[in-house]
Amino acid sequence: MKIAVAGKGGAGKTTVSGTIARELARTGRSVLALDADTNPMLGISLGVGPEETYRLLSVRQGIDEDEVEQHVHSAEALVETFGTDAPDGVRLLVGMRETKVDPGCVCCGGITPKQLLADLDADGRTIVCDLEAGMGAIVHAGAADVVVVVAEPSVKSIDVARRTAATAAADAEVIVVANRVQSEADIEAIRAALGEHELFVVPEDDAIARADREGRAPIDLDPGSPGVGALLKLAERLGRRPVYA
Amino acid sequence: MAGQASAPYPRFWKTVGRRPASRRSRARPGERWAPGERPLRLVVVGKGGAGKSVLAGTMARLLARRGRRVLALDTDTMPGMARSLGTTSPAQPPLADAVEAVENGCWRLRKGIGPVRAVQRFSTLAPDGVRVLEVGDQVVGGDPPITPSVQAFYQVIHGLPGATALRAWTMIGDHPAGPRQTAHDWAPYADTLLVVAEPTWKSALTARRLAELADARGTAVTAVATKVSDPGDARFVEKVMGRPVAATVPLDEAVAATDRRGVALLDHAPAAPAVAAIDDLVDGLIAGRLTPVVAR
Repeated sequence: MKIAVAGKGGAGKTTVSGTIARELARTGRSVLALDADTNPMLGISLGVGPEETYRLLSVRQGIDEDEVEQHVHSAEALVETFGTDAPDGVRLLVGMRETKVDPGCVCCGGITPKQLLADLDADGRTIVCDLEAGMGAIVHAGAADVVVVVAEPSVKSIDVARRTAATAAADAEVIVVANRVQSEADIEAIRAALGEHELFVVPEDDAIARADREGRAPIDLDPGSPGVGALLKLAERLGRRPVYA
Repeated sequence: MAGQASAPYPRFWKTVGRRPASRRSRARPGERWAPGERPLRLVVVGKGGAGKSVLAGTMARLLARRGRRVLALDTDTMPGMARSLGTTSPAQPPLADAVEAVENGCWRLRKGIGPVRAVQRFSTLAPDGVRVLEVGDQVVGGDPPITPSVQAFYQVIHGLPGATALRAWTMIGDHPAGPRQTAHDWAPYADTLLVVAEPTWKSALTARRLAELADARGTAVTAVATKVSDPGDARFVEKVMGRPVAATVPLDEAVAATDRRGVALLDHAPAAPAVAAIDDLVDGLIAGRLTPVVAR
């Protein structure tokens, strides 16, 4: 199964991706976490650590700077060569990151998140792909079975989510996460724009905010908090899909 | 070694058909400004949710209220700056009309359209007289396609540094989340990168990455810590980012509330502490006397 996580910047994509990846792994799945953001921070929400995450080698960088001697001949070999081990047996692969000026066209050269997501085999494992902020990224989700769209209860965030969901719904199952919800009115605002999709409500949560400040995985800090609990339910819901789907 | 010549992918400017702006001179020789008169040339960057659009939009209007001619540049295909400026009307005619397709998948500005004409014709008017140029809206299904508009915007902004008629204009850009546009020279008009970070690891590490990119390009960095609720917050951003924080904007319920409603902070909560902090920042930038907040 291939899951892509999309939404406006700051909506909580990375937190959602990292937490469901860890939980799916804890419940016995083989999980590959694919960081498709050019500002890759998924390692932090997986519990790899902030400074370590900042230093992770990306596929694109590794190939461009000849970090490998041997020929990397398949998407699987990329995971072998450039992947990192995260807690609970999650394997983390960073697609690319912006580290220099005028680096050339990021959509060319064969190592795009879209291609990685399409080329990587989902047989017997779950791939959780954390997309770049904004709506443009949704074109990369064509290969995903499920697109999780994360929305905060703000006009801009809901607008991005609405368009993202409308685009993604053509090729994938769409699940909406209403994140940082404080009131019934927040849920209503999100439901009004995205009501036709399955909705998971994640309440505003001090534990997740603290994990964000401390650079830790929310699932490590407080798996019993309301926000993390809601994300564990989302993981369980995703886990009910057949492995070979 | 993967040298420049062997890069396996085309560079963006090849599709645009111009030399990279980093190889053109951007500073105009002989410019002299009285103290406090120099027009600010900024681009606001940072991680998603740090407060880029609110800061950029509010600063643009506060500068306009000080009598400056201000051009606000929103490079996001999901425009957010307009809401923070207090306007939502899209440009008519659309910016896509500024370009035409030529061979090899390239685009060029139509005959007679330079950066000044493009600003005249394709920008909209926001409150306080701010002119807004937006890359435009990516619609569901991609129709009309956003590509011509993106190409037009890229070419127009690369003409801005040399546009004599705009030399006294203040320019403030608002980039989408992350380092992508900073890496790809989407703010050639800016001499300063205003890097915004809230006190979280992800936000502050993103700020570090952006500051490193600014160094590589030779652009100055001004770091601003947002959503600050504790004296330790600015220290945290400073420590993670590795740069002095020049200004802070407090955590402010008014910012969250106006954001939820999608309205301009300056119109709906003009007395908010965040507005006062942004006003101070504007004064500091004009006077060129921002000092590190942590040392103060």
